[in-house]
Amino acid sequence: MELNAHIPAGPLSEKWDNHKFNSKLVNPANRRKFKIIIVGTGLAGASASATLAEQGYQVQTFCIQDSPRRAHSIAAQGGINAAKCYQTDGDSVHRLFYDTIKGGDFRSREANVYRLAQVSNSIIDQCVAQGVPFAREYGGTMANRSFGGAQVSRTFYARGQTGQQLLLGAYSALSRQIHAGRVTMYNRREMMEIVLVDGKARGIITRNIITGEIEKYSADMVLLATGGYGNAYFLSTNAMASNVTAAWRAHKKGAGFANPSFVQIHPTCIPVHGDYQSKLTLMSESLRNDGRVWVPKDVNDKRHPRDIPDAARDYYLENKYPSFGNLVPRDVASRNAKEQCDLGKGVGSTKLAVYLDFADAIKRDGQETILKKYGNLFQMYEKITDSSPLQEPMMIYPAVHYTMGGLWVDYNLMTTIPGLFALGECNFSDHGANRLGASALMQGLADGYFVISTSVANYLGTNSLKAVSTDDVAFKEARQEVENRISKLLKNSSDGPTGKVTVDEIHKEVGKLLWDNCGMARNKQGLEAALAKLPALKDKFWNSVYIPGDMKEINQSLERAGRVADFLEFAEIMVRDALAREESCGCHLREESQTEENEAKRDDANFSHVSVWEHKGEGVEPVMHKEQLVFENVTPSQRSYK
Amino acid sequence: MSDIDLNLQIWRQKKSDSPGAFETYALDKISTEMSFLEMLDVLNEKLTKQGLDPVAFDHDCREGICGMCGTVVNGVAHGPEKEVTLCQLHMRNFKDGDTLVIEPFRSRAFPIRKDLLIDRSAFDRIIQSGGYVSVNTGGTPDGNAIPIPAQTAELAMDAAACIGCGACVASCPNGAAMLFTSAKVSQLCLLPQGQTERKQRALDMVATMDKEGFGNCTNERECEAVCPKSISIRNIARLNREYLMAALSEG
Amino acid sequence: MWPIKFISSSIGKKIIMAVSGLLLILFLCTHALGNAAIFVSSHAFQTYANALHSLPVVVLLFGLGLLVILLFHIGFGINLFLQNRAAGGNRYAINTRVVKNSFASKTMPYTGLLILLFIIIHVFGFNNGPADMEVSQLVKEYLSNFFYSLFYIFSFCALALHLSHGFWSMLQTFGINHPRYNNGIAKLTLIVPAFFLVFFGAIALYFMSGLGASY
Repeated sequence: MELNAHIPAGPLSEKWDNHKFNSKLVNPANRRKFKIIIVGTGLAGASASATLAEQGYQVQTFCIQDSPRRAHSIAAQGGINAAKCYQTDGDSVHRLFYDTIKGGDFRSREANVYRLAQVSNSIIDQCVAQGVPFAREYGGTMANRSFGGAQVSRTFYARGQTGQQLLLGAYSALSRQIHAGRVTMYNRREMMEIVLVDGKARGIITRNIITGEIEKYSADMVLLATGGYGNAYFLSTNAMASNVTAAWRAHKKGAGFANPSFVQIHPTCIPVHGDYQSKLTLMSESLRNDGRVWVPKDVNDKRHPRDIPDAARDYYLENKYPSFGNLVPRDVASRNAKEQCDLGKGVGSTKLAVYLDFADAIKRDGQETILKKYGNLFQMYEKITDSSPLQEPMMIYPAVHYTMGGLWVDYNLMTTIPGLFALGECNFSDHGANRLGASALMQGLADGYFVISTSVANYLGTNSLKAVSTDDVAFKEARQEVENRISKLLKNSSDGPTGKVTVDEIHKEVGKLLWDNCGMARNKQGLEAALAKLPALKDKFWNSVYIPGDMKEINQSLERAGRVADFLEFAEIMVRDALAREESCGCHLREESQTEENEAKRDDANFSHVSVWEHKGEGVEPVMHKEQLVFENVTPSQRSYK
Repeated sequence: MSDIDLNLQIWRQKKSDSPGAFETYALDKISTEMSFLEMLDVLNEKLTKQGLDPVAFDHDCREGICGMCGTVVNGVAHGPEKEVTLCQLHMRNFKDGDTLVIEPFRSRAFPIRKDLLIDRSAFDRIIQSGGYVSVNTGGTPDGNAIPIPAQTAELAMDAAACIGCGACVASCPNGAAMLFTSAKVSQLCLLPQGQTERKQRALDMVATMDKEGFGNCTNERECEAVCPKSISIRNIARLNREYLMAALSEG
Repeated sequence: MWPIKFISSSIGKKIIMAVSGLLLILFLCTHALGNAAIFVSSHAFQTYANALHSLPVVVLLFGLGLLVILLFHIGFGINLFLQNRAAGGNRYAINTRVVKNSFASKTMPYTGLLILLFIIIHVFGFNNGPADMEVSQLVKEYLSNFFYSLFYIFSFCALALHLSHGFWSMLQTFGINHPRYNNGIAKLTLIVPAFFLVFFGAIALYFMSGLGASY
């Protein structure tokens, strides 16, 4: 597997301009001759679909939900970063770049991150023009809030529903193109396979979720914007349908998978309360602007939080990190919460929670101000837990939230399969080993609105692609593979459920295995044990999973089964990756590699690389390749938020 | 925290064109901490283990924002609790021994695909006919070049909070989609960005809404009462005004 | 043609209902004003009636106009009712109304029909009385009949109920809904129907109870 990142020449700040100039273009009249498949309609997929269709390409867009408006980008709460420096607080493109690189613990590519910071401002302008109702100051200018990992106020927001508003903006632009006939929209389709012709991505196989039909679609190139794989853990803040299938299918067809062990555990989620629980709910990180995190100093303090005096409370983030306090990056906040709970200081019935307290903020700013900022989050919390954050502190605990790892892409966002591109959370490119809050929205939209069109034109302009139709033998074979796999999934189910396991049972089992051994803290022993257990779990799944119903109808058990089958395979490279990276960085804490203060200790001499996994065939051990990271503009330092 | 026993009557329908009927299921020991959808998960696990077909229902984010979930519970869209989607409805709202009648959102414009799972693509077509500002990517002015009073931004946000779940249609005695349509028209007519296409938008979106087979609004206010995002019928008043002005000058 | 498009759209129909409803309310106001003469004396009322009938062209045009408005209100009302029954109807096993006090809105078509029935009887009655009887006497003649009066009062109740949704609904359809005025609108929505009920009801009661015996 050849890993050429195709980073443009020139000084950092000129790379993107140089690249745009050196990239090939497609004449507007010729664009309509090219067909592009886009899978996923989150921020990246919807914005790319709209933009490419506006430019004149024929776009076919696919989504798994009943409407493109429901992709999981919609659930992002806090905001979107941009280097506008509207607050005159010292922000700049370079600072956003630096904060993002540093936040990612120096495990991302300089050139990509710089480009992200460069286009961030255009994203805000674009969204405003679309009618996204960002929060405004009374004078009519745009309001900002602060977010973790930054000392400037650069986050734009629309109440606690920024993701929703940005997605609806992209969805509206996409809708306009559907209306104009330039995008053909396919709802309720699950991508099952990628089709290669002459080594290039030329189409996909989907399952129509309503009819169960296995369908073939051909195009000149394929863009994946299918999100992250957090649901491998079963419990995560991801939507129920979020899955790794599209990316995994691409991986098995030759796309390198980068840094699969980099999983962000978000510090402020509502704690788990029972084994029937189906998902975890995130409480926006913006809450840490005003909320103070604490646990009782005494392990045996059983008092109601209100009755515990300040002196008996440990505001551990403020004490340990005086300059960033409660606004340390996510990985640091999560790890510290785990540390407190491991010490037995956790609160609540499960002892797996810490307090996030708004009493001081309410005293300072008044209830009305706090409600204006966080009203909908408080309401959401109260609906779920039956407790009001105005009356008593919230209880929070970390949960799997975002995956920095993803398909390896070069500067053009192209995977190691020619003609196959990955956008948004689906790729690995910008966040290194940890993503800063409010940067996921920025990256999704940067990729879709402002980056991909250059890559698309360049790819189409430099490759002469022969005409391919879905009658091609490659499509027939791919469809056959999909049908075979579904038949294999259903093979145990003809004689009833007795003695079988359900899809969810296996999913919970693999999820727990990953959470225990490849979660917030990892060690060699645990990872090796998990790796040893995975094959048996996989066998158990394939040999005894029971799936009611058949494939030619709506069959939600079958949908889940297909996804779990891929999670089971994927879990292996996730664990292998965590095992191979014998350092700590960002989200990835190897217990063997810590500083004296229990902070993540990087090993730049040996691990300043992207680990890229190559699939070598069923039952064959995957191979890891390295893309060395070169830092010419920043000096990797031990992150310190003290 | 406690456990309750429930008696469920759920609408089962194999396909769009097959006849449907209610089936009765008993569920014991449901924790009141569970969400409504988790209760359905428990039922489905139980049915699966009995070799029966689990109940198909739509759901995705399970945190009340994607708008994918929703059924009618005892005659009320999204169930008895105010301002929540079905996924945020918790079982503490029910008592031991309760009977829950669970039906899909019904509307002529929302065909049932299976059990509780419906097709709401009519909403997408309403948006496609005009629910946007026609700007292409790039070449837009600086965000601060379009000053918007905070109050206006808040009003627009009130309307923009719609999640497109369809509870308004499901609860409307006439099956009207006015609250949904008016929310988008309101958001864009309040903001300066939406002024250019203001009139045509109102005309086109209402025309599509009518064509899709939704009923007519008779100001019953049920939509507002069940809306999980508290979208106000003030938006409907605004749409009426927008439509009248547009029809008189450009229709 | 935009008027056709307008009246065939859902909102257009609602606006026709609201405009015709408003005109009918205005007519009721003038009708009430004229009938106020009853409370003065039979002579005053007869003078008013005579004055009105001395302008037959005006009465005819006014009557025709009113008929057209009424037909619009009824025609579009029935159209909306049928369309909505097809789109909505009783489509759930359990139909629960979340909105309290939804009786008036639920019964709009039925109160409307009752009012129509009343109008037919009322107009027919007063246009086809004995040829030698003056209108002022005819009123007394009819309304002194207990059941006739009771029917009148019952009809006014239906009218009040109809208006207790219709008045607010009309303003909502015109796009008048603002937090600053909504309280006032809510009060007006009680006052307007109550006024018509009390005023017209009082006329019927006046004769029914025997108070108008010396009229």
